[in-house]
Amino acid sequence: MIALRGLHKAFGGRPVLAGVDLEVSRGEVLFVIGTSGVGKSVTIKHLVGLLRVDAGEIWLDGARIDALPERAYAAIRRRVAMVFQSSTLFDSMTIAENVALPLRKHGRLRMAEALADARRRLVEVGLGEFADRWPAELSDGMRKRAAIARALTLDPEVVLFDEPTTGLDPINARRVDRLIRALADERGVTAIVVSHDLASIFSTADRIAFLYQGGVRMCGTPAEVQASADPVVQQFITGRSSGPMETPGF
Amino acid sequence: MILQRTLTTLGARSMAVARDAGGVFVLLLEVLRSLVPPSMDGRELMRNLYKMGYRSVPIVVLTALFVGALMVVQLAAFVKQFGATALVGWGTGYAVFREVGPILIGLMFSGRVGANNTAELATMTVTDQIDGLQALAIDPIRYLVVPRVLAMIVCLVALTVIGDLVALIGAMAMSQVVLDIHPLTLWYSLVDNLSTADFLHGVYKSMVFGAAIALSSCYFGLTVKGGAVGVGRAVNAAVVGAAVSICFLDFLMTYLTA
Repeated sequence: MIALRGLHKAFGGRPVLAGVDLEVSRGEVLFVIGTSGVGKSVTIKHLVGLLRVDAGEIWLDGARIDALPERAYAAIRRRVAMVFQSSTLFDSMTIAENVALPLRKHGRLRMAEALADARRRLVEVGLGEFADRWPAELSDGMRKRAAIARALTLDPEVVLFDEPTTGLDPINARRVDRLIRALADERGVTAIVVSHDLASIFSTADRIAFLYQGGVRMCGTPAEVQASADPVVQQFITGRSSGPMETPGF
Repeated sequence: MILQRTLTTLGARSMAVARDAGGVFVLLLEVLRSLVPPSMDGRELMRNLYKMGYRSVPIVVLTALFVGALMVVQLAAFVKQFGATALVGWGTGYAVFREVGPILIGLMFSGRVGANNTAELATMTVTDQIDGLQALAIDPIRYLVVPRVLAMIVCLVALTVIGDLVALIGAMAMSQVVLDIHPLTLWYSLVDNLSTADFLHGVYKSMVFGAAIALSSCYFGLTVKGGAVGVGRAVNAAVVGAAVSICFLDFLMTYLTA
């Protein structure tokens, strides 16, 4: 369904992605893992056109999308939703108004109808009683769930999650994992999840792609990753501070 | 060595100014392109009209009242010396309608509304809310910038008209107190010597100033970099940019219509 071929991206002359190749099938839950700053978030931002490739190709259902003009990306973004690490709920709106916004803008619903639909969707993620609260009044976990509810309003085929469990307590983190799994299993939604959360990764992923030094070092099922003999992969999944991936200054 | 460093700094600053001016112009083109076909978020427009216009009325009224009174105080010595009471209305109205009203209210609007707008958009930018909007397939220019530009133009025109009228009231009251000129005398001096064109001259200026403040504040808000420090820098740049634009455009419009 999604194919990244030879993706290159540099910021200020510093290469971040140096030939990322990745394929994702429909209904699959793919976790993208790797150390901080390796380009995981950068990779998924390319899929919705928030970043543009320096070189390489991005394909969605057989159509090349990396060269589309900004206006043409609107159609892609209705199919591929993104949940950001910082939730990105709009401060000037209540939670219900946040969720109602895409319904109002794309669903062509009137405000009252969009709000009613938004409240129903918030109930589904356990936030029904917080619909009229402001984002600043909610916990990180609640904001993340509200952001997920908002991202799902357009019934996307693909959802990109950028560190959805970072900053959450273990209970809320597992709730988010269950939600991602249910999206794939019950609705056939394809999920690409950027994460450092090993419990989340090994309990939820169909496949795991490990990014290292600008490319995909390994891509396989959780069992394959755990059984990998690659010392770099082993150091990451066991969380050892010493090994082939040394961080200068630490 | 010092000369080289000075020239390098001057060159870098000139490049930065040229880049920002170009960026504001590109934003203007994007706003114009977003108006075809005309579609706008009505709620966002109304929210901005209320926040930018209605809530600015008290401060504009207060300032304009003193400005009108001040014009008479400045004229008082001249009027007493030459007995030119018939010119008080003309002098006050001419200055307020054509220059003082649009410029002063424009600068105040920039400080209150423009700065607030930059801070709001810059905070949205550094907290990824603009990216979040794009990811929802909502165009930030069409959804955020166009309503703000239109609201600022409409509000500044309305506030300038209100300010002009209030300044005249201030002038009438002060001329009665310090010069013993009846308010109706000042009014007749005004309507007999000024034309609608004098009043409209200020209205046109306020439209242009409103657009300049809106574009400057939106541009610096959307192009901010560097977290909370960057937000502060963006607000500063937007207010300075708007003030310089107002002075430059005022000169240009006055010169071209003189």
